[in-house]
Amino acid sequence: MTATTPDLAAGPGASEALPVLQLRGIWKTYSTGTVHVHALRGVDLDVHAGEYVAIMGPSGSGKSTLMNVIGCLDVPTAGQYVLDGEDVAHLSDNALADIRNQRIGFVFQQFNLLPTQSAWRNVELPLWYARVKASERKQRALDALARVGLAERAHHKPGELSGGQQQRVAIARALVTDPALILADEPTGNLDSISTADVLGLLDELHAAGRTIVLITHEAEVAARAQRVVHVFDGGIAGIDEKAATP
Amino acid sequence: MMTWWETLRLALDAIVAHRVRSILTTLGITIGIAAVTLSVGMAQGATASISSEIGSLGSNLLTVQAGYFSHDGGQPMDPSTMPTLSMEDAEALSDPTIAPDIAAAAPAIQSGFELAARDTSIGTQAEATTPAWLAVQSRTLAVGEFFTPEQYDDGAAVVVLGSNSASQLFGDPGAAVGQTVTANSTSLLVIGVLEQSGGMMSTDDLAVIPLTTYRDRLSWGEEPIGAIYLQATSADRLTQAHQEAAALLAGRRGAATSEEAGIMIVSQQSLVQAMEQVTNVLTLLLGGIAAISLVVGGIGVMNIMLVSVQERVREIGLRKALGARRRTILAQFLTEAAMLALVGGALGLALSAGVAWLVTTLAEFPVPVSLPTVLLALGVSAAIGLVAGSYPASRASRLAPIDALRRE
Ligand SMILES: Nc1ncnc2c1ncn2[C@@H]1O[C@H](COP(=O)(O)OP(=O)(O)OP(=O)(O)O)[C@@H](O)[C@H]1O
Ligand SMILES: [Mg+2]
Repeated sequence: MTATTPDLAAGPGASEALPVLQLRGIWKTYSTGTVHVHALRGVDLDVHAGEYVAIMGPSGSGKSTLMNVIGCLDVPTAGQYVLDGEDVAHLSDNALADIRNQRIGFVFQQFNLLPTQSAWRNVELPLWYARVKASERKQRALDALARVGLAERAHHKPGELSGGQQQRVAIARALVTDPALILADEPTGNLDSISTADVLGLLDELHAAGRTIVLITHEAEVAARAQRVVHVFDGGIAGIDEKAATP
Repeated sequence: MMTWWETLRLALDAIVAHRVRSILTTLGITIGIAAVTLSVGMAQGATASISSEIGSLGSNLLTVQAGYFSHDGGQPMDPSTMPTLSMEDAEALSDPTIAPDIAAAAPAIQSGFELAARDTSIGTQAEATTPAWLAVQSRTLAVGEFFTPEQYDDGAAVVVLGSNSASQLFGDPGAAVGQTVTANSTSLLVIGVLEQSGGMMSTDDLAVIPLTTYRDRLSWGEEPIGAIYLQATSADRLTQAHQEAAALLAGRRGAATSEEAGIMIVSQQSLVQAMEQVTNVLTLLLGGIAAISLVVGGIGVMNIMLVSVQERVREIGLRKALGARRRTILAQFLTEAAMLALVGGALGLALSAGVAWLVTTLAEFPVPVSLPTVLLALGVSAAIGLVAGSYPASRASRLAPIDALRRE
């Protein structure tokens, strides 16, 4: 960290209004041989606790790359990312695994469920890595499935569920560890309008319960649920639509 | 980190999920372990039966033979300088004041005999010897008597048959006593039949006659003594008896050592040791060849684990995204590989137990599969799994979560 860069990882005494996510000058460059693709070109973004932020942009603009950086699934080529007051660059592999496990819930566009495991086994997966006892794991997994309205499908495998139901299982998995941040990459991209409404309703509930939500989408009506819409274009932020105080 | 039990369950799930592939993979280990345990078991069975065989021949027996046996590479010798044994050697050896640890000595001339009964004739091994032979060889009689010192001194025309020779000539060993057999147109009265010695190195094709009778009626010229059998006073005096015989025979020939005099003294124990050496080499050889198949099996497990990792890159990515640490992923894949190999090893043991049982009952050849072998085999298969799994597992654990998740 150079002297010219402001120290974002403020020590104790910083106000509670400090953003949970702070991105400063984030670059992500993919190099294959002599070809360099700049997926992100110096992104600055703040997200505050309890905010509902949508990220919109055309295909290939860098939305998923941005979400992967936010979710600690990928490391930026340059720039500073401070999560909950901690500079992610200084964290070990294990610390990052623990952050993903305890503070972040992922909802992927492709669902990413284990096909050989039943719904509740899929949902309990993050709890294994959180060292939760077996009996408690099962109870919490069933509770989470009940919250997404799939209590009676707990013993079905993903192949026996519809796309919308699979995505709800994935949401149950994202919320089972009770994380503060939910990251959803086009969670409704593969769903019909009724399933989309279900999933968005669930995200609204989670937001109402105080969680921070970052949602990636193509569709304006999906983005309309968020308090703030960040427009990404060609690896940079093209503009931010601030909505008036919605709850 | 998950508990060991959960790690096991996860590994089992993955193995069961790919049933056919898992079975094919473990087949290599199964065959390898079966081959190793069976070949080691067979070699051990052979060793055990050979040692008990030789042991049954008498543990305090020494055999003295003359001739140059080693150092000069078997060049043809001038017959006049060939070392020989004599009756005087045998008498000196049985003198308790000179050789106190030798209980008895029986000189013998071996030759092939054509023995004819009323309607059959057989070729058999003849031993022309003294009455001491019976005790020295630890043999007993099934029927009849052995020849007495008087019969020996008289050169009586009598013969004691081995049980095989007796039954070949007369059908039933019991019917042989009192009958007459002819050897080189000399009639010999059968006065006894030896008890079976049993075993593979059978000495039941045999005709024992007094040495005097042989010299008087059956041999041409003065044949030298072929061997002197010595009986030590007890099994634990065998070494002393050996040394006394060697010193005595060397002294009688004015040589420094018995080897220099062209005398070889062999004990049953040295035979046992020689046979054990042979079977140990056999065990190593067979085991080594079988071990190669085990290594091939291990490579099979490694190959499948690599494929499994490739196939499950997305799963690994997902697990890492959900918070699995590198060590957890490593443990998962290592456990899976070890379990796969262990299952293969257990199946291999079952297979070899079955084959061993078949061989033991059908061929009546003991193939012991001992507990140490079983434990070693299981340990080796688990180790093979770990070694074979460690490369794929560490590759899997090092994948960046997003690279893994994005792969198709
Ligand atoms: N692993 C990679 N190697 C090389 N280039 C990559 C890689 N991942 C992404 N890119 C490139 O980075 C750019 C941004 O990709 P990203 O996946 O972030 O787009 P996106 O906005 O999520 O698009 P979509 O809406 O289609 O999902 C694209 O041009 C893409 O080709
Ligand atoms: Mg995308």
